[in-house]
Amino acid sequence: MTITINRVSKWYGHVVAVNDVTMNIEPGITGLLGPNGAGKTTLLNMIAGFAAPSTGEVSLDGQPTWRNESIYRQIGLVPEREPMYDFLTGRKFVLANAKLHGLSDPGAAAEAAIAQVDMAEAADRTLDTYSKGMRQRMKMAAALVHNPQVLLLDEPFNGMDPRQRLHLMDLLRRMSADGRTVLFSSHILEEVEQLATHIEVMVAGRHAASGDFRAIRRLMTDRPHQYRLRSDNDRALAAALVADGLVVSVQVDAEDEALHVQTSDFGTFTVKLPKLARENKIRLYDVTPADESLESVFGYLVRG
Amino acid sequence: MSTKTSTGAIHNIGYRRYDGPRLGRSDIRKALYSQTLKGAFGIGRGVSGKLFPWFLVACAMLPALILVIVQSQVPVNPELGPQAITPLNHYVMFIIMVPMLYLGSQAPQAFSRDIRFKVLPLYFSRQLTSNDYVQARLLGLWTATSALLIAPLVLLYLGGLLISLPFLDTTLALLASSVSVLLLSAMMTVIAALIASVTPRRGLGAAAIIAVLVGSFTVAQFLQAIGHVFGNEQTAVWLGVTSPVSLYDGVQNFLFQGEPFNFMSTLLIPTPSMPAGLTLLLVSLGIVYGGWVLLNSRYRKVAAS
Amino acid sequence: MNGTIARLTFAGLLRGWRGLLLALLPLGFLAIALLMRVVDATDQATIDGLLGGLNMATVVPLVALIIGTGALATEIDDGSIIYLLTKPIKRGKIILTKLGIATLVALAFTVIPTIIGGILLTGTFGDVTIGYTVAVAVSTFVYCALFIMFSVISKHAVLVGLVYILLWEGLIVGLIEGARVLSVQSWGQSIAAQVTPDVFGNPLNGVLGAVLAVVAVIATSWFATTRLRSLTLASET
Repeated sequence: MTITINRVSKWYGHVVAVNDVTMNIEPGITGLLGPNGAGKTTLLNMIAGFAAPSTGEVSLDGQPTWRNESIYRQIGLVPEREPMYDFLTGRKFVLANAKLHGLSDPGAAAEAAIAQVDMAEAADRTLDTYSKGMRQRMKMAAALVHNPQVLLLDEPFNGMDPRQRLHLMDLLRRMSADGRTVLFSSHILEEVEQLATHIEVMVAGRHAASGDFRAIRRLMTDRPHQYRLRSDNDRALAAALVADGLVVSVQVDAEDEALHVQTSDFGTFTVKLPKLARENKIRLYDVTPADESLESVFGYLVRG
Repeated sequence: MSTKTSTGAIHNIGYRRYDGPRLGRSDIRKALYSQTLKGAFGIGRGVSGKLFPWFLVACAMLPALILVIVQSQVPVNPELGPQAITPLNHYVMFIIMVPMLYLGSQAPQAFSRDIRFKVLPLYFSRQLTSNDYVQARLLGLWTATSALLIAPLVLLYLGGLLISLPFLDTTLALLASSVSVLLLSAMMTVIAALIASVTPRRGLGAAAIIAVLVGSFTVAQFLQAIGHVFGNEQTAVWLGVTSPVSLYDGVQNFLFQGEPFNFMSTLLIPTPSMPAGLTLLLVSLGIVYGGWVLLNSRYRKVAAS
Repeated sequence: MNGTIARLTFAGLLRGWRGLLLALLPLGFLAIALLMRVVDATDQATIDGLLGGLNMATVVPLVALIIGTGALATEIDDGSIIYLLTKPIKRGKIILTKLGIATLVALAFTVIPTIIGGILLTGTFGDVTIGYTVAVAVSTFVYCALFIMFSVISKHAVLVGLVYILLWEGLIVGLIEGARVLSVQSWGQSIAAQVTPDVFGNPLNGVLGAVLAVVAVIATSWFATTRLRSLTLASET
């Protein structure tokens, strides 16, 4: 099943949480990566039908997700917050979820789900005696009990120890191998790197990058960087830059009294530019990178 | 096998030790007190936090305003001179639901929230002791509740002056009712705080506080009705111990000779005799003190856990 | 009605302090009634004061409030409602199931004490007892619907409910006769007056009360369903 997000924006008053995002989530494991406050949870809430987009559509195989309880037949949601049916045992909790789905054999489905998350021994204890990792696994069992085609997980690795994390990653890989669509959000680079085959990056509500992890990284280094230069002799500077072979393109902007240059190797560029200016007796007034936002995404991806 | 020593270092990135003067315990207490007091009126919280308290302030003041206006329009009887429509202490009984609702919403705000979100360790990891915490919170809430009740009394007082009621008498009446109100709000605050400190779940605290305050008052009224019929005059007075509100009524009656509030026309509660009045006063103070002690021990337990 | 939701709601309703408070309120009323019986103070004014004043005007609405909000507001508040919402169950079914359970439990805590109290005070299962029982049963049901709706629309459902009970029904309805049209209690009384005409003085028109009660239950349940369908969860980050 495919989740389609089409030109979706969501704002709360003057705060724009999600800004014109378009993406398709296909079967496989997709990681939604971004710093805190990037809008990941809002987007997940919209996909899960717990928030309405201010504009745009969020749909699951063509069906809108908002105000549509039938989508929950296909979706399993593992929310971030702790559940509070503390008085139930783990088994009863998963069983209740199975019954609420109207499954024909809720008992068997519950047992299967509990076995999948490896919680069969602790299943008879009440939920309030569980550790955080155990609760997370029970939440997963509850989300899996009806065999959903789509699995949505909000920061699923929060609070898990390394062993539990490996176990969960394994489980998710198995789900994905079955042809399901798994979407999880995280702000930790390594988790996404290890698990997701496809990542969507969100920064400040915008859809900043999408695709295979390594491909994005390559794009970052290969992509030409744009700068705006102001000096006391633009044309001479332009000539010097072209002669030196540092830049990919140069554009003289008479109106703006600036030089727009594109370079593919910004490291060398930033080192050589002042030297070049000095050699040619040109005074530099202003050097500004023009694609600031992508810079920050790149920095985020690289530094982690 | 020799281990390579790491070349790590901690850089000075701006974290500085503070070696200057630090404020003491009493300043922390004062800060907590003022935060509680301001929070009880929604200051420092969002719009929704201001809505309910100020709505209740309006409910408390509006009838007083109406009374003042009506009072000033009523033609003065030449023989009796200007008359106040309601004595101040009756007004308090009239709007008694308002401080109960107020405490129902603000006591959980002051006491339950910290327990619910488990932030008490943050408070107690400083010089603040659990007793300080209780004292600051309780005094803040008490001040707020008393202010809620005294403000309309002041309004009525000014209204009385407007229609040229005798100055000395009215001023003394205001002082007397203010003192009694302080006692009433102390009792109600302490009870509400105790209930709030054991009900961290949102909503239940408010319902429980109302149930106890309203319930005890209604029960007291019934007991007093029975006592009036079956006992001697003072029985009804004695039975007032069942509820803070009837205690208040009895005490202020005893101390300041205010008229008792007769909620049933068939029931006339007399002025308390000396033993009855003293008992009522002692019980009232006992409730305040006992509640304080219980609250302290509750928070000592919570702090230790 | 959904059985699992019913069981979950029921299990969550009586836990902890809530159960204690729910038991204390009607017990307090019964204790007073017993006391009155013992001292033989069972004149009409006392009966009206106890059954009408303490029970119907105070204990019953408070019990309904605690149960009505306990059935839904706590789940919404701590977020566990999400386990009910991420299922292909119509939201209306969720609301109706909760209303059903809340009403049943509330009726147990209001009707039974009313019957016992009435018998205690009047000595027989007569008109007075029947009248008040009908009134209490009707009001309990409507109260539950009202408070469940409050639970969906406001974070402070209990406070809103308390304002309704204490300020609107407690104070304003007493002062302004016309406000009775919007008081759940007077609807209950007006319907009971159809069954036992002499028990309540000057009730609202019975047909009007019945119509308003039905409309109120339908309207509040429908509104609660609509709002539940658009329930948004606050985002964490």
